[in-house]
Amino acid sequence: MKRPLQLDYNIPRGRLAPHFEALAQGRALALRCSCGHVAFPPALTCAACGAHDGDWVALSGQARIEHRTDTPGAAWALARFAGADTAVMLRIATPELTTRRGHLVPPEHHAGLWLALEETDDDD
Amino acid sequence: MSDVRIAGGAMTPFNRRKDASSWRDWCLSAFTDALADAALMAGDIDALMVASESDFFSLQLNPAALIADELGLRRIRVQRVEGGGATGHLAVQAGAALVSSGQARRVAVLGVEASASHLDGASVGGLYSLSYDAWSEGESGIGSASIYALSALAFMAETGATSEDFARIAARNRQNARHNRFAHLPLDVTEADVLASAPVSTPYRRLDCSPLSDGAACVILAASQDLPEGPGRARLAGMGVANDRVRLGDRAHPGCFTAKGVALRAALAQAGCAVDQIGLAEVYDSFSGAQLQALQALGLTADPLAAERDGQFTVEGALPVNLSGGLLGQGAPVGATGVAQVLAAAQQLEGRYPGLRPARAPRFALVDTHGGIATLCAVSIVEAPR
Repeated sequence: MKRPLQLDYNIPRGRLAPHFEALAQGRALALRCSCGHVAFPPALTCAACGAHDGDWVALSGQARIEHRTDTPGAAWALARFAGADTAVMLRIATPELTTRRGHLVPPEHHAGLWLALEETDDDD
Repeated sequence: MSDVRIAGGAMTPFNRRKDASSWRDWCLSAFTDALADAALMAGDIDALMVASESDFFSLQLNPAALIADELGLRRIRVQRVEGGGATGHLAVQAGAALVSSGQARRVAVLGVEASASHLDGASVGGLYSLSYDAWSEGESGIGSASIYALSALAFMAETGATSEDFARIAARNRQNARHNRFAHLPLDVTEADVLASAPVSTPYRRLDCSPLSDGAACVILAASQDLPEGPGRARLAGMGVANDRVRLGDRAHPGCFTAKGVALRAALAQAGCAVDQIGLAEVYDSFSGAQLQALQALGLTADPLAAERDGQFTVEGALPVNLSGGLLGQGAPVGATGVAQVLAAAQQLEGRYPGLRPARAPRFALVDTHGGIATLCAVSIVEAPR
């Protein structure tokens, strides 16, 4: 028996909406808690002190790859953005490059975080 | 913990069904066989705990009520448990809590999943990617293999583990599965075969990955006083559950499955068991490296990587691991996985496991299962009948 199912969700982002709106434009918006912890991606509760408030803070969008995995068609990485206290999983927009530094760019055919790698790691 | 026995159990073969049977058929088969194994009748069951990960797989919301109806169970306590990959194990623990608290006398825990035959692999993979943070990882198109791969890379960097270590595990679990008539992938493969298999997500290759499986498994839980006279059954001696940050990047050590150690300590305390008394383990090996990461986090040996290289986790070793074949060999129908792990451990301790067995059954066995990427970790200690 065939049973097709097509669903079209509409998902509000609530308090985290500014982060996702910025991400769609290729900008990194983190949440800085009053304790100083900077979460990127942001979370409703601060991992350091448990507070539920915080201020939005723009990061430069520069990131450094800590670990990278390659699939036959794409590459992902665990990377840390400058100014953030957490790392984040993201998609590499330029998988043909093997450098470890890059900057956030607007999403391509999937939403989420996309990182374009620099041509060289000369600044290291 | 009070006297909760694994009174009996059964499972269907784990595989990709091509025989036109339905998940409802598998549930009935596992349930009736488990009842027979426990020498009980359906009317003896006063609670049904259903383990099913996702309605997207079965396309059946409220599955517990439907399954109870199909099994002919009426006017009893029925509920469904879900916790990602740990779903089946959590259901066993929830069923045991009902028995130990006196809210039920004989609980059937029935795990089932119908993903492999219902949907193509890409669709299942897409749904699995929602098992992490669906708003971050889940939206980028990343799959489970890549998430596990990134964690494995962090683990390799911290410990010195290699792809060869992972390949040895992947091959051994498939070889173990060759003794298991219910196994999905009972493959005669070597470490070299694993290393030569198609790349999936570095460092993982195809044979490093567990399959998508269909199947069901069922165990009956009850106190000794509520069971008929018969052979002694293993005791669910201790249970623990602990969580970790969902996003890998939020963890201080993304290669370490830290919550497993927390869950283990709770389970050991409840069981009154020391870690060095555990003589067998069924460990959640969704990927080959995850088995080593689990053993590292659980701390069952001082140096798990050295122990792995020394052969201590083989059937002849000091601590046999995944003699069933684990997820890599036996298969992984999610809701049924943890139930089958508990069943295998119990039958090993009772000396009646229908597969690869150690020369002498130990007193204690460990069962380890997790959801997400060791985000929701369940550990149980099972004790041999005495």
